[in-house]
Amino acid sequence: MQAAMAALDDAGMTMEDIEAVVYSMAPSEFLGVNEPDRWCVDAVGGRGRPFMRIHTGGATGISAAHAGFYHVASGLFDSVLVVGADKVRECRDSQQVLNTIWDPLFERQFGLTTITMAAFQAVRHMQIYGTREERMALVAVRSRGNALNNPVAHLKGRITVDDVMASPYLCWPIKKYDTCPSSAGGAAVVIVSEEKARKRCTRPAWIKACSEVANTVFLGDQMGGMAQMDFADSDILAMAAEEAYRQAGIRNPRREIQTAELYAPFTICELSMVEALGFCRKGESGRLNEEGFFSMDGGIAVNPSGGTLCANAIAITALARVCDGALQVMGKAPSGMQVRNVRHAVCTGEGGSFQFHAVMILGDDD
Amino acid sequence: MSDKVAILGVGMTKIDSAKKDQKLDDMVFEAASKALAQASLDREEIDSVVIAACDELDGRCISSMLLAMPAGAYLKDEIKVTDDGSYGVILAAMRLMTGLFDLSLVVSWCKTSEAPLSDVMSMRWDPFYHRGIGMNHITAAALMAGAYAERHGISSDIPAKVVVKNRRNGSRNLNAHLRTPVTMGEVRLSPRVSWPLRALDCAPESDGACALILASPRRAKKLKRDAVRLAGFGWAADSYYLGERMLWDSPSLRIAAGKAYGMAKIKEPVAEIDAAEISDFTSYHELLAYEGLGFCGSGQAQDLIREGITAREGGLPVNPSGGLLCSNPFTAAGLFRICEAFLQVAGKAGDHQIRGATKALAQGSAGFCAQGNAVFVLTQ
Repeated sequence: MQAAMAALDDAGMTMEDIEAVVYSMAPSEFLGVNEPDRWCVDAVGGRGRPFMRIHTGGATGISAAHAGFYHVASGLFDSVLVVGADKVRECRDSQQVLNTIWDPLFERQFGLTTITMAAFQAVRHMQIYGTREERMALVAVRSRGNALNNPVAHLKGRITVDDVMASPYLCWPIKKYDTCPSSAGGAAVVIVSEEKARKRCTRPAWIKACSEVANTVFLGDQMGGMAQMDFADSDILAMAAEEAYRQAGIRNPRREIQTAELYAPFTICELSMVEALGFCRKGESGRLNEEGFFSMDGGIAVNPSGGTLCANAIAITALARVCDGALQVMGKAPSGMQVRNVRHAVCTGEGGSFQFHAVMILGDDD
Repeated sequence: MSDKVAILGVGMTKIDSAKKDQKLDDMVFEAASKALAQASLDREEIDSVVIAACDELDGRCISSMLLAMPAGAYLKDEIKVTDDGSYGVILAAMRLMTGLFDLSLVVSWCKTSEAPLSDVMSMRWDPFYHRGIGMNHITAAALMAGAYAERHGISSDIPAKVVVKNRRNGSRNLNAHLRTPVTMGEVRLSPRVSWPLRALDCAPESDGACALILASPRRAKKLKRDAVRLAGFGWAADSYYLGERMLWDSPSLRIAAGKAYGMAKIKEPVAEIDAAEISDFTSYHELLAYEGLGFCGSGQAQDLIREGITAREGGLPVNPSGGLLCSNPFTAAGLFRICEAFLQVAGKAGDHQIRGATKALAQGSAGFCAQGNAVFVLTQ
């Protein structure tokens, strides 16, 4: 409710102006209430209105924003509220819950979790591209530093590569500081038709593209043998991005995008993702990051908010990416977090066994 | 009608009490494959997939991870809703209307035989106000049924007649789970589950998967053959808190129906609609739905039953497939309703075909006491 009210306030609107509600809710098992969207109907103004829940795992928030866009772009609605909240810490052990995402017949018994899954990607990236743990660590250092400017981030602070390297291994080569926290939080965006946006807002963030792609769940099928991709690379993201760039008319992402809010719950994910998004060549991200290319004053500011590594309330993490991307385009990001002259911001979400990737591109008035 | 989304084909598994010979992914694959076959399409031609499924009933906390693939979503733009199978059609239709996509597969399923349905439902209550009471979906439905009966002075014979009607209809439907008709006496003597509901007033728990293929208005225009159109749809939610709701009425269904009728330009539903497939989770749900859908005034649903208007031979046959009272694959139930409505309009419903049906209505619902409702109008 707090998130919904904040978004409406920011848009200068009230619930009366909203025609439909999309609820962003990923696995409910953290919260311990099944289908909690139904419970929250009243809190977010869903009563008497069209209301639906979207759930695509980690990508949920951005999928929900996509759904909000479809409501409006279909011509059926002029204004839609996309909202959600999560409390990942309400369960005893989020990894125990996340073990149940795996298929019970083939992969669950291995004790796979999202951390071990990320370790596979890291090891693969290390093997193919020679990526070193220190270079992954640097992603955490930059993210936590960026988060200092973000009043709503969960983790923030000045840490060093040594601090990350000294943090305990959760599953080699993933260390505690390479990993996102379990967070609680809410987020909301208001999506309106072009006509309404021009009336109400001097500098709205325009939705230029929505795209998402699904891959197989099985890690073994995501590389080698017959696979058309490698688990080290976020090739599914590359596919989603290619379609998004087509929709947005972006030919050279490295030049035309100023900032990115990426759903990267582990440091290795971010290195893999910036490559998939075409910000650099495969295997190059670690070096470029070290050179500061992805820093606030670099070529493309990645996760000025601190991103998922600094706050992960799973149901809305990808929606927060959209919120933060929109703030960048609208020039409303908190001081220090605002990137200069943002014309395009790319926001992403990632769900399942790194198998669902979703991209939204926000842009200024051309 | 050319600005409307078209439905090109549907695929359904047989609905059973327990599909022991099929894993969930096998069921999903069967439904998706059948829909593609009926539409004479190859998976490669599909550009978007919408899934409607419930994690908790599937026993995994992101159920689309495994099931997106048998649903046909490999390397496709895929998105998932959770409310009810019918909500998948809403989202798919909106996606097609944006002009970004041309052909969409909508897939939903539920294997209730492997899910502790009552426990999962109890866990849907919030932990502060409702959960301690120990309600499940049946006891909640009983509150609604009791409120409705009390409000309008409905005798238990009226809902019993709904059961007899739907079970008789279901006996003609080769795909139904329960295919034996029942008598008024059998309904009256069936055990009390939760007052005023008796066992036969309640839908069974079934296993089933279904899929449907939608085409964008742009793509539908190119089709040579007559396609079934999704002429209108609407949906809305009621309050979660039962104490806040007037349980003898369904405002969300009125809103949803109003939107669907507006879009489909339907003014007099009873006169214009040839068949309706609605979510009769209990016999009382069907009566409430008549009123929410504007088939009659408040408290008058009993007249429609008494006069046989909604019987197979009546002016507006409701649930010619037998409805949920014969087959209830929980999460997928609403999408099955749309698939059945499609079969009626396409003239492919076999033994339970309503002759000459050109306009059919489908209703899906989600949440306790039909908290959320979605209405669809399909035309030739």
